Amino acid sequence: MSVKKIDSPEFQDAIKSGVSVVDFNATWCGPCKMLAPVLESLSEEMAGKAAFYAMDVDDNPDIAQQFGIASIPYVAVFKDGQKVDEQVGFVPQPQLKAFVERNL
Amino acid sequence: MGKRYDVAIIGTGPAGVSAAITATVRNKSVLLLGSASVSDKVSKAHMIQNYPGLPDIPGQELAQHFLDHLKKMEIPITDRKVTMIYAMGDYFSLQIDQEFVEASAVILAIGVSFGKPFPGEDENLGRGVSYCATCDAALYRGKEAVVVGYAPKEEADVRFLAEMAQKVTYIPVYKKEDAAAMAPELFPDRPNVEVKQVKPLGIEKRDGRMVLATDGGEISADGIFLLRESVSPGKLVPGLELDGNHVKVDRKMATNLPGLFAAGDITGTPYQYVKSAGEGNVAALSAVSWIDSLKK
Ligand SMILES: Cc1cc2nc3c(=O)[nH]c(=O)nc-3n(C[C@H](O)[C@H](O)[C@H](O)COP(=O)(O)OP(=O)(O)OC[C@H]3O[C@@H](n4cnc5c(N)ncnc54)[C@H](O)[C@@H]3O)c2cc1C
Repeated sequence: MSVKKIDSPEFQDAIKSGVSVVDFNATWCGPCKMLAPVLESLSEEMAGKAAFYAMDVDDNPDIAQQFGIASIPYVAVFKDGQKVDEQVGFVPQPQLKAFVERNL
Repeated sequence: MGKRYDVAIIGTGPAGVSAAITATVRNKSVLLLGSASVSDKVSKAHMIQNYPGLPDIPGQELAQHFLDHLKKMEIPITDRKVTMIYAMGDYFSLQIDQEFVEASAVILAIGVSFGKPFPGEDENLGRGVSYCATCDAALYRGKEAVVVGYAPKEEADVRFLAEMAQKVTYIPVYKKEDAAAMAPELFPDRPNVEVKQVKPLGIEKRDGRMVLATDGGEISADGIFLLRESVSPGKLVPGLELDGNHVKVDRKMATNLPGLFAAGDITGTPYQYVKSAGEGNVAALSAVSWIDSLKK
């Protein structure tokens, strides 16, 4: 598994079933760049438990607006289409893993 | 700055200087970040009576001894502020403005000069309060933002944000010596920036808007940016475990993040030069063991 980059047309379908982790980011945000490899590694570690996606807020302002995202990186966990938790800012992998696991 | 350092030491007070000396003696590559004039807490002390071997030494002279010692050991000071430290797993990435530097170990020796957060700041961080204008500017397209800037260099971020935001209210809260550099018309080319000379007091979320209380009345906007000179350790290092306002360490000066050590005032009272220098020494030796264990 790895982190799949998606845009708003694919969004609803991507999060519709199971546990999905969506990383909202932008190309010019330093903390987002640092979080990307952490998510990539976590997606391998948690393969089969959760699906990982990445969305650029610059390309998808509608989704960013919908979730009232005010700071990035913003990582949201969705369960069968419903947002159940969020995490704002960079976090090291062990903490990020704990965050996803408590929402499984 | 492409290579990965063995250890990055942040802070050039007695803790950081001592750590840099010991890590260098142990043949590790060191990146020492801080101030070219060492630390105000050293250079501005009138007379120091309890530094072993140097009785009744003015702070200015102790600072000079520190600089001479670093020079003799060929350890340069990189006079830059670290804005974020990311624990990447088996290494750390340090953000210095828009640049990134890598190190296998980090010693945090930043002292305790950061101020208290505003009431309402911590609760709304990431939910309307941000410390990074260049990170979050895209989210303010067509919206209103308030920026509180603690140094003239933040004016560049205000310009950047004003390209996206519909309106930016800029509140410069500079030190006295910097205030002179502040032109009355800071942004002649940015008509959507309004400069207000007020003192921020607190932050509140009301009806989905962020409200900044000041001594000149309330200012409401979609978001508030606080661009400070120094940030508290928990915000500098995401994921770092604290003990009140200090960094939680064990006797090896290890924090909860493997490979990250802390020393000096930042680990707690007593606030003393020799205690700081001693902890810097311990932190450096612990970092050396950590680096050696990585190479096995
Ligand atoms: C007026 C005065 C008199 C004192 N007298 C005595 C005395 O007689 N005896 C005694 O034992 N103690 C005394 N102290 C206490 C002593 O100053 C401190 O305990 C000591 O300086 C702490 O050292 P430190 O290395 O932990 O941090 P500091 O000396 O505070 O140094 C912190 C360093 O970190 C750097 N820094 C901070 N943030 C960043 C960042 N983000 N990026 C890069 N660099 C950063 C700063 O530039 C600075 O170089 C006195 C303090 C004061 C203010």
